[in-house]
Amino acid sequence: MAGIAAAEIRAMAALLDDLDYYQLLEIDREAPASVVKRAYYQATRRFHPDANRHLRGADRTALERIARRVSEAYQVLRDARRRRAYDGQLGTAGGSRMRLVEAEAKASQQALDDHLGKTPNGRRFFNLARADIDKGDMQAAARNMKMALTFEPQNSFFREKLDALDGALRHQG
Amino acid sequence: MAEIAIGIDLGTSNSCVAVARGRQVEVLPNAYGENVTASVVAFRDDGTITVGNPAKANLIHDPHNTVASAKRLIGRYFFSEEVKKAQAIYAYQIVEGPGHGVRINVREEQFSLPEISAMVLREMKSIAEERLGQEVRKAVITVPAYFNDNQRQATKDAGRIAGLEVLRLLNEPTAGALAYGFGRGLDQRVAVYDLGGGTFDISILEIGKDVFEVLSTCGDTYLGGDDFDDRLIDLLADEFMATHQVNLRQDPFALEKLKLASENAKKGLSVEEQVEIRIPDVIQSEAGESLSVERTLGVQEYSTLVMDLIQRTFKVCDEALQQANLVARDLDGVILVGGPTRLPLIRRAVSDYFQQEAKTEMDPDEVVAMGAAIHAASLVGDTPEDSEDAFLLDVTPLSLKIGVAGGLAETVIERNTPVPIEQTRTFTTYQDHQESVRIRVFQGESHKADENEMLGQFEFSGFRKARRGDVRIDVTFEINSDGLVSVTACDQETGSQASTELTLSSGLSEEEMAGILGENRTGRVETDAAAKPAPSPARVPPAGPEDPAMALEVLDAGEPVPELCELEVDRQEPAAADADDDRPTLSDAEEAPVPQEGSGAGEAPMPQIENEIQLEPADLQELEGIEVDDLDGNPDDSVPLETGAESLFGAAGTDLSELDDGEK
Repeated sequence: MAGIAAAEIRAMAALLDDLDYYQLLEIDREAPASVVKRAYYQATRRFHPDANRHLRGADRTALERIARRVSEAYQVLRDARRRRAYDGQLGTAGGSRMRLVEAEAKASQQALDDHLGKTPNGRRFFNLARADIDKGDMQAAARNMKMALTFEPQNSFFREKLDALDGALRHQG
Repeated sequence: MAEIAIGIDLGTSNSCVAVARGRQVEVLPNAYGENVTASVVAFRDDGTITVGNPAKANLIHDPHNTVASAKRLIGRYFFSEEVKKAQAIYAYQIVEGPGHGVRINVREEQFSLPEISAMVLREMKSIAEERLGQEVRKAVITVPAYFNDNQRQATKDAGRIAGLEVLRLLNEPTAGALAYGFGRGLDQRVAVYDLGGGTFDISILEIGKDVFEVLSTCGDTYLGGDDFDDRLIDLLADEFMATHQVNLRQDPFALEKLKLASENAKKGLSVEEQVEIRIPDVIQSEAGESLSVERTLGVQEYSTLVMDLIQRTFKVCDEALQQANLVARDLDGVILVGGPTRLPLIRRAVSDYFQQEAKTEMDPDEVVAMGAAIHAASLVGDTPEDSEDAFLLDVTPLSLKIGVAGGLAETVIERNTPVPIEQTRTFTTYQDHQESVRIRVFQGESHKADENEMLGQFEFSGFRKARRGDVRIDVTFEINSDGLVSVTACDQETGSQASTELTLSSGLSEEEMAGILGENRTGRVETDAAAKPAPSPARVPPAGPEDPAMALEVLDAGEPVPELCELEVDRQEPAAADADDDRPTLSDAEEAPVPQEGSGAGEAPMPQIENEIQLEPADLQELEGIEVDDLDGNPDDSVPLETGAESLFGAAGTDLSELDDGEK
């Protein structure tokens, strides 16, 4: 079987982050599942590392990166739920986000915000609580933690910390 | 002529080697003319090592120095269930190695599992070289599809130790499908039902003209033909106990004889309706009287003994079909792989389950090696001009996860995702001037971290110093075509890269590997042995007392994590998540490698937490009075502390101690 030219791999790798999954697989947005599958087979055939054993070093790394993105495109587009989410994302992000950001990853971002505190007051009381724990004053810590929560009632990380504090205190009692 | 590359099915009980040349695929028989070779390694008293059927025969005479079913232990942690089970069944000495790994002690020497497997691989390599009349350096080695990264990595290490370049780790059912469908221009959906000596896999594949796409894979690495034998062993031993008041299980020699008899009975029942089990002089009574086992066993009785095991495989099949969004009648064929599938009772059950006759034209012991050989040939370019290579599109069998706050694990790459694949997650620093980020990686399907297999723990360091939350680090998780995992990290702003291979705690460190390769103990197999000096006693692997991965874990326990900032939010109440869990989490296990079973182990972390928090009883009385509105806190005081508190509070301990003044 014919391998793919190194120059083509390099060009493709440079473009990769600007291609959406449809462009990568060279199909329409409306392509049915059977077409997605065929396109995946074709793209795999072209970019499969096994089919391109002549490539070495940086070219090989580039090839492997493309191969992984091809799998990713297929994984998203073959699944109706993911595909809908992806189409929605492409519609809103103005083409800047070519890869599907999964709900779980979004949840992580949310968690990250929780972890640091989102409001100035929430953050302030959270930090006070940390200082209290440092000093060993668990009672004050629990109170400050509770205050932090009143500013950010949805903050599950704060809630978790308070629960831990409270549970620990009750256990000691 | 292209370079030759072989396919090796490295099995739990038996191994098989094959080669594909042109359109011919042939299984290469050993010196005795047998197509399969027992995966048993015998360490003789003269320092020589033998592999195969002669070694298996040695089990009965010298069970302490004969290692069978090493594949069940490869890539496992010492505290795993499988290791405990093996300790009860095998007479050879299984001990703990560095990083909670497993080592085998034989004749005053200590061997890692990859070394034992390497001895089997070396035997298969030399069988091939003997038959082909030329040196063989490259191979495709098959692994159960459901093997995790630790087990795969250890198998790859075994190949390296055996002097083989491992072109690919190929999933056994995929290899089976390849042998079945290669070059036949099929357009079918098939299930590969692969029941081996120690593992069960089911894969659903779509076979196109030259494409083999795995739609889903599920499995159970704790279920195989050995378990069938164990059932019969138990029956025979119990009956013997009732008749003679002698426990055969306690005598390693008698136990080996029971095992052999059970295995032979199983094989016998593959062709007969009834077998005679006879073990003359299995043991002596206290009075010095010679006792024997004698019994007939019919198919029906055997079937009731093992039916629940067979049913267990169908639960796994249900899952695989569901993952592939198919039902049994969507399938065009069912391929049987693995010795136990010769049993008519299994064939019948499989045919009933899939509502069609299973295909029996392929030899279930050889089909995997043949598929591996076909793939090996295509990887070195030795396929005929007029035919195209078959493309294998495989999936990752297990979800890849990262540990997050609250002892939970969050999925980064879902199971049954096509490989190769990558997924990037963004982390941030948690403290001002934090220079490193720590990530624990797991494989499995549980949302609780400790119910998954821990692959390793990484610390990425060398990022620029900035206020917490300012440094954004992209961590990319990658699974390659071998199913092996690697992780790289990159600072979003500076682009500075840190990368690491997964260094598994249960595997071999680079130093150990270097030592093993330098020492070449596997080279003692067979005839080589005579030329080598006798082994030095009580040799320990050349690595230090702790491998680096381990050192990190210890640090983690004593001085809690400057935890990275991904954590679970909306899955469930953190306290509730841990409430029903009375086992230590893996992070608990880090401070003391407590076996993860039984309730006794769960008590260990308690006192430590009490010390950490250092509350006076008086304070607590006061605190009891404080009510927190709509708190879902756990009414059972002791529960959250056993596990949850370690991670919640352990983590809190650090954040809190490193207070950030700038924010106030």
